[in-house]
Amino acid sequence: MAGPLEGIRVLDMSWVMVGPVSGRYLADLGADVVKIESRSRIDPLRTLGPFKDAKPGSERSVSYHNLNAGKRGLAINIKEPRGRDVILRLVDWADVVLESFTPGVLESLRLDYANLKARKADIIMVSTSILGQTGPHAAGTSGVGTMGAAMSGASGLIGWPDRPPSGTYGPWTDGVAPRFIVPSVLAALHRKSRSGEGCYIDVAQAEAGIQFIMPAYYEYAANRSIPTRRGRAGSPLRCPQGVYPCAGEDRWIVIDASTDAHWSRLREVVGGGLADARYDTLISRLRNREAIDHAVSEWTRTRDAQETETELQAVGVPAHIVSRAGDLARDLHLRHVNHLRRIEDPEFGEAEIEGPRSSFYGTPLAETRRGPRIGEHSAEILRELCGMDDREIAELKESGVLV
Amino acid sequence: MLHDIRVLEISAPETMMAGRILADFGAEVVVVEPPGGAPGRRMEPFLADVPGVERSLTWHALNRNKRAITLDLNAADGRELITTLLRNFDAIIEGAAPGDGAPLDGIDIPGTVVRCTISPFAQSGPKSDYLATDLIVMASSGAPSMTGDSDRPPIFYSVPQSIMEAGAEAAITVLAGIVARDRGAGGQRAEVSARIAAMMSSMSMPTVIGSGNHEPKRAETTIAGARVPAIFECADGYMLVTVPAFGPAFGRMTQRLAKWAADEGHMPREIADVNWSTFPRDLANKTSTPDQLRALVEGVTLLCRGKTKSELGTAARKLGLLAAPVMDMRDISESPQYRERGLWNSVPITHDGCDFDVPVRFAQFSNFSIETRRPAPTLSQHTAEILRDYAAISPTELQALFVHGVI
Repeated sequence: MAGPLEGIRVLDMSWVMVGPVSGRYLADLGADVVKIESRSRIDPLRTLGPFKDAKPGSERSVSYHNLNAGKRGLAINIKEPRGRDVILRLVDWADVVLESFTPGVLESLRLDYANLKARKADIIMVSTSILGQTGPHAAGTSGVGTMGAAMSGASGLIGWPDRPPSGTYGPWTDGVAPRFIVPSVLAALHRKSRSGEGCYIDVAQAEAGIQFIMPAYYEYAANRSIPTRRGRAGSPLRCPQGVYPCAGEDRWIVIDASTDAHWSRLREVVGGGLADARYDTLISRLRNREAIDHAVSEWTRTRDAQETETELQAVGVPAHIVSRAGDLARDLHLRHVNHLRRIEDPEFGEAEIEGPRSSFYGTPLAETRRGPRIGEHSAEILRELCGMDDREIAELKESGVLV
Repeated sequence: MLHDIRVLEISAPETMMAGRILADFGAEVVVVEPPGGAPGRRMEPFLADVPGVERSLTWHALNRNKRAITLDLNAADGRELITTLLRNFDAIIEGAAPGDGAPLDGIDIPGTVVRCTISPFAQSGPKSDYLATDLIVMASSGAPSMTGDSDRPPIFYSVPQSIMEAGAEAAITVLAGIVARDRGAGGQRAEVSARIAAMMSSMSMPTVIGSGNHEPKRAETTIAGARVPAIFECADGYMLVTVPAFGPAFGRMTQRLAKWAADEGHMPREIADVNWSTFPRDLANKTSTPDQLRALVEGVTLLCRGKTKSELGTAARKLGLLAAPVMDMRDISESPQYRERGLWNSVPITHDGCDFDVPVRFAQFSNFSIETRRPAPTLSQHTAEILRDYAAISPTELQALFVHGVI
């Protein structure tokens, strides 16, 4: 098998991030995923970096490839009646349809779930948007995962108490929502294999985001306190635990040595004032947090971050550099598991994208292929999946439907 | 949807979200804890800030809809019982501690079972022995290096994220294995690295260097020297407003934002008339200037300052802006959007009649509804019934297991 989902067919009408990430999961796991795009309205992700060699261009976005790897591409105008007809033929072919249009758009094109279900009763269709398809604020809410993060409560938890929130890194819920979309699709596929039922699935990015910070919501619901940003990394219940400066510009290491075993190893390595019997117990460490953090920082400040990580881990102290992009590119673990993979493109040459996020023994996942160029597989998809002959395809092209 | 699936979750912090997603979809999930309780029971915050094995709100949040047994997997009887239980289960989720292997290594696992093992940095390779905690895994994900202000240390989430990332990833993996099994494959053995799962939060950062780009820096966005904040202060809190949104898709949103700020008198009309879709190109061609962007930021700052989150949110929807209120937990609780959509479901937390509404329905289905069928289990709450039903343990044998500390 080319992965556990070999033979599953997915029509991916989504764009930017959340939908494409979900489609990529399914492609990585072996599904045949067809991405719909058009040259007149390209996937906005193509306008976002990083670009190969930092040169923008609609076929140069590495983000695009990272989120669309392994898919095939069809460029078509779905607003044209004949374009719509092609979509319906692909619905006949597909098990799963993904879409992330602004709520209401597919209804206006008569490609919403009611229409698709009438065409194919057991279709599994997912709509994903910032706030979902229903509710008083759904209509008109369109955007990216930074907005989902803000409305999930996550953005407000990140920052320093004496400054405005810094917010999440990037459009955070674009990465969180697929973790609920994909399980929903797979659970629906399981049910379909038993009962033959399809379904419609509506996932709001903001609501998915809330799931990842649920303990904070429970704190409010149960204790009536509103969690807020606290800046310093780590828990008030552990010490030492936090981020410490290292030699060089913006180099940091996390050390998490609150348990007695980790602490005794750390103080042996650091030595100096940390050997003081004052710091033998957890309670005394918590009461002397500032002095301990100061001593650890003084020790780390002049040291190389990577070497310190290696040295501390070698003696059994949990530690890791705060990895930057360059560190990830060089990382021994990521190289060992072949997580970063070369892709080749006729226009920009070679680039590097991520591999799948899980591995299956005995069911190797498919090779990581770059994402499709705009309309790269149009003819093949129309021929093989829609049953069209060359004459029909040429006609579509001439009439401007394949754009 | 998964009512015919039985999952054994050897509880670790990183398995909890995986089991919960499956349980929310109706799977019968049985949590296996050591006799002293799973580590997740000792995770803050605690009910009324009072610690106790039944009081962890993290445990409650991530273990609803599951049943729980205790079993000492280091005891011969514990290992024998797990082997017997497994004959009745479809999937296993477990966490591997660095250096110690996975809890079920060495146990005879039926060929039909889908087994997913979560480890921090994979079970082999140069970092497989690394000791890891949430902060360690998140530090290795990349995202914190770009989070926060450049004059201070990187910022981490106050809610552990690696366990959410890894757990959700494991749910995907287990379900993919189950779908493969439905389609005629046998059981599956799969592995999830919490670090690689957590790298999702770093977006495309891992690809930056390998694609010929410079190392990005943690700093507030500046464009041609103009500071562009992401979050603006408003009358009653903060508002996210993405000002530097250009290009054909996003530029129109910036155009509408600029028009509104000018309409409200917070900046000159000519700034609203700048073509924001083509601004980066015009800036490069020197037909636009950084001062225009500064003026827009200033206009947005004044616009936000005079309005509430709710007013700004309403306008953002009406005008179609890349903007949203920065909501706290009370805002979420009071939001008519979440309320009317049916996100909430009541969850008993303390088993003594104390109920709270929590945001349960992370997905809405046309013919299924995520419900709280049972609260998070108390320690060993279901040991007797599970061992009786799935391992034919008699009441006398159960007492013997308890006396010997196996349960």
